[in-house]
Amino acid sequence: MATHQEITESLLAFTNGYNANQRLIVMNRDWDRVILIKADDLPSEHTLILNNGELTMREGGVDNPDLIVMANSEILADMFYGDITPTEPYMNGTLRITGSEDDIVRLDFISMLIWGE
Amino acid sequence: MKKVVSISLGSARRDHEVTVELLGQTFCISRRGTDGDFERAYQLLRELDGRVDAIGLGGIDVYLRAGDDCYVVQDGLRLLQTVKETPVVDGSGLKNTLERQVAYYLREHTNLLPSGCRVLMVSAVDRFGMAEAFSQLACDVTFGDLIFAAGIPYPIKTMDELKEIARKTLPEMCKLPFHMLYPTGKKQETQDEAKIEKFGHYYHQAQVIAGDFHLIRRYMPHDLQGQTVITNTTTAEDVEFLRHCGVGTLVTTTPEFNGRSFGTNVLEAVLVVLLNKPVAEIVEQDYLELLDRLNFRPRVLGLN
Repeated sequence: MATHQEITESLLAFTNGYNANQRLIVMNRDWDRVILIKADDLPSEHTLILNNGELTMREGGVDNPDLIVMANSEILADMFYGDITPTEPYMNGTLRITGSEDDIVRLDFISMLIWGE
Repeated sequence: MKKVVSISLGSARRDHEVTVELLGQTFCISRRGTDGDFERAYQLLRELDGRVDAIGLGGIDVYLRAGDDCYVVQDGLRLLQTVKETPVVDGSGLKNTLERQVAYYLREHTNLLPSGCRVLMVSAVDRFGMAEAFSQLACDVTFGDLIFAAGIPYPIKTMDELKEIARKTLPEMCKLPFHMLYPTGKKQETQDEAKIEKFGHYYHQAQVIAGDFHLIRRYMPHDLQGQTVITNTTTAEDVEFLRHCGVGTLVTTTPEFNGRSFGTNVLEAVLVVLLNKPVAEIVEQDYLELLDRLNFRPRVLGLN
């Protein structure tokens, strides 16, 4: 099991990776979204906010997010560090993403563009 | 008579059957859609295995090529592996040969593809041969893979960037359920109005719109002004749809049989029968030589 702090650090790595990628910022200028990241094995919530292409992260949850990403703490930390891809846990049901299918595919693409290869 | 059947995840409304003679052999070619139902597709493939001469797999890709890299769509591979005895193909072999040649043919024999021509390829990783040909012919190409598959308004403009993005995304994307990346079943009969409004300008700015017909159709604005569409698998109804949207010229890359241009998977299955070689042993040159003997030419149809 990962700790809340480890999830925070993984999300910071993800946010830094995203914001260092100018192409991703350009790609997402049309896509303002609030994403709740929620662990299902410990009380840990984080919020990712995409606004005008820029990504910020803060600890704690939010009401009415556009997307909810939920998994156990280990999967969340591994995924946002880029150690595992979201596809396998998503396909085997250990990662659950709530939101429109278009948004889910787009989030997947963004992850791949940050951590792919 | 040789029997070739295409099992497609597309709509059953597009089913068709023809009898044609090619190089002295008579073929009964039919297409059976399953409306996006994978279980039905598995069932049909099992039923036909060993009972027909070749099977084409339609409405889904199995192999996507970008440069020297080949990516395998897992949902497609599972379908392909259901067939144990009959040769089965997905059309990717022909996309890399016939469709590449079509671009050169249009440059040489028509005025539809001049140097600098603005081309929108709605998706390039499923038609890499054609994408490469457009680039080599100095067309101003916009690859719409991220726009239409992921909803990301980012036009890819070079082959290098296309390959780089493919390398980063396709290994994982190929594992997703295919319906998340491509319209299957009933989705093929409807248009995505939100994306038409958001991304329609890419169609308007292009002189030529090329690629998979279902993707072209799903996002096509209704007020085009004489653009050329290069695709295949069009029915008579599709031709009317394109005319209604203001398309000026339709080019189909596969030959027309009884008013219908079949998918590359169907044609590749026919070629496999004519070649009479195991699929694994067929190389690009085999297709090129056979296409030459068949003297297939793209159909160029003025719509206005």
